[in-house]
Amino acid sequence: MSFKKCRDLILGIVMLLVSGLYLFFAQQIKTRPKLTPGFASARIMPTLLGVLLAFLSILCIVQGLRKLKEPETDSQAKKMDRGDLAAVLLTFAVIIGYILILPVAGFILSTILYLFLQMIILSPAEKRNYGLFCLVAVVFTALVFVAFRVGLQQLLPRGVIESLLGF
Amino acid sequence: MSTLQLIGGGFATVLTPTGIFLMLIGVAVGIVFGALPGLSATMAIALFLPVTYAMTSSNAMTLLMALFIGAISGGLISAILLRIPGTPSSVATCFDGHPLVEKGQAAKALGVGVVFSFLGTIFSTVLLMFIAPQIARVAINFGNFEFFSIAIFSLTMIATLSSGNMVKGIMAGVIGFMFSTVGTDTIEGTARFTFGNTNLKGGFDMLAVMVGLFAVGEIIGAAETSRHTDETVTKPQMKGIRGFGFSMQEFTGQAWNALRSALIGMGIGILPGIGGGTSNMMAYTVAKNSDKHAAELGPLGTGRIDGVVASETANNATIGGAMVPLLTLGIPGDTTTAMLLGALTLHGLTPGPLLFQNQADVVYGIFAAMLIASVIMLFMEFFGLRIFVKLLSIPKYILLPCVFVLCVIGAYALKNNMSQVIACLIFGIIGFTFKKLEIPTTPFILGFILGPLAEVNYRRGMIRTKGSFVPFLTSPISAVFLIIAVAVLLIYATKPLRQKKA
Repeated sequence: MSFKKCRDLILGIVMLLVSGLYLFFAQQIKTRPKLTPGFASARIMPTLLGVLLAFLSILCIVQGLRKLKEPETDSQAKKMDRGDLAAVLLTFAVIIGYILILPVAGFILSTILYLFLQMIILSPAEKRNYGLFCLVAVVFTALVFVAFRVGLQQLLPRGVIESLLGF
Repeated sequence: MSTLQLIGGGFATVLTPTGIFLMLIGVAVGIVFGALPGLSATMAIALFLPVTYAMTSSNAMTLLMALFIGAISGGLISAILLRIPGTPSSVATCFDGHPLVEKGQAAKALGVGVVFSFLGTIFSTVLLMFIAPQIARVAINFGNFEFFSIAIFSLTMIATLSSGNMVKGIMAGVIGFMFSTVGTDTIEGTARFTFGNTNLKGGFDMLAVMVGLFAVGEIIGAAETSRHTDETVTKPQMKGIRGFGFSMQEFTGQAWNALRSALIGMGIGILPGIGGGTSNMMAYTVAKNSDKHAAELGPLGTGRIDGVVASETANNATIGGAMVPLLTLGIPGDTTTAMLLGALTLHGLTPGPLLFQNQADVVYGIFAAMLIASVIMLFMEFFGLRIFVKLLSIPKYILLPCVFVLCVIGAYALKNNMSQVIACLIFGIIGFTFKKLEIPTTPFILGFILGPLAEVNYRRGMIRTKGSFVPFLTSPISAVFLIIAVAVLLIYATKPLRQKKA
């Protein structure tokens, strides 16, 4: 069975769990009954929202079950290409890597590295022009750094290169 | 002060060397964002927000309005030349725009598109200038009951209309609302869902949420397709494009069509939940159904300027419409105006009826910027078309990473630390997951923004009435909005039942 076919069912079940958790934590909110009456407390809206989400999740599960009974069409059966999945996962990986090294390596170094890697991941193999990517990464980073740090006086994460440049 | 004096003051605020410079940049960048498929008006504003942090509020709004107007109009370039709508606002422009190009009338199609985009913006801005102060004057008397009902009304409209699946639409709105409950409660001052994390005390930042959901989510999503997208789009024929390409007779022949489309666009803009993406299609459909020349000239869709006029007038007229609830009530109707709301708040301005009293200079500055930016747009698209067309060939795999870096800077600048960058990434992942599960993101954003408005006014109202909901229903304005909201819900909920019977 493809993911597309049962995703409404999965969504409904996950959201039902989420609403349960949300309602549980909503009941932990401290209220001040002497100051604010119960019908206007900090707990009231979260409680209503949790119940509403639970109700919607059940509707979603019902919709999902109904969809399961329908015959599978070709467009639904179409699966994600392995290369595409790899591209998505790699994109996630470089983005997380970028955010992790930003405060350590500084804006300039990590941005050049990120841009270069991300362009390689996103481009089709036959169009990979490493020289061009490198050039774009360096020039764009430099432009952005000058525009924001120098032009707009905006602070950016500092690292070795920034200290050497005196920012 | 009289309205004319206020308008004059608005022009004086905007027509400074800095103001004009910002509008030139804004319109140019906006057109590029509009023309490039995958980049939208919302993204353009998100990316330029950090640039405005250090500016005065008038300059900031001038730049952002110019971006907005440029981006909505820029979509026509790729819609006509490549038959790829640059933004959802110009989907209907493709229908007749591209066939005109195939007939060798590219100049005419582009000329008509540009001129009627311009007229649509001007028309709606002028209407906005006269409608908005009147609404603000009424809205100044609105209290908790009215604001609660208007927020609920807007949320219902957005959740039901912006998606094909009502359950998922409302669910997205509720989840957005839930995220807005994180942080310190404004009435009781107690912590909600912060789990002891100090970064969560102030709640999630509206801008981090929006940049994450729209820009970051979009980029992760693009990773899926960018290796396959056919980049070898046919090079548009640009030879012999000179002048506006249409005669005076053709122009006057479109007067009624344009006026009708502008009114449709304006009306749809005012209603929450349905923006430019719907107005261009609706105006096109109306133009098609009431067409009297189908017999002699062929039906719409075969390359008639009527189709381009309807779509482009309507989508630009939506801008003026969408500004009405934003400025007078502080209620954004779509994601782009939600971004503008974020920008206004960032500059210490609270949109709503009081804005017209306390900061009339900013409001009229916005009006003036809209008018001048549309004139700039007219000239830029007319003379600079070749440059914009060249930019269309920049591949996505180079563009999107650069856009992401700008998102990171914007998020970092919010607090000058990494906390908002991380929040932005989390919302990016949520945005991507939503996309995969076909959950609309617009209701999520508006739930996040309008949720607190609904909650605070509900609770304050209930305290005032000592726990009785009745005054929410007996205040006439509040009652009307609640009744419409319930009616819309019922109409959509019973749709499948009625279809079965039919």
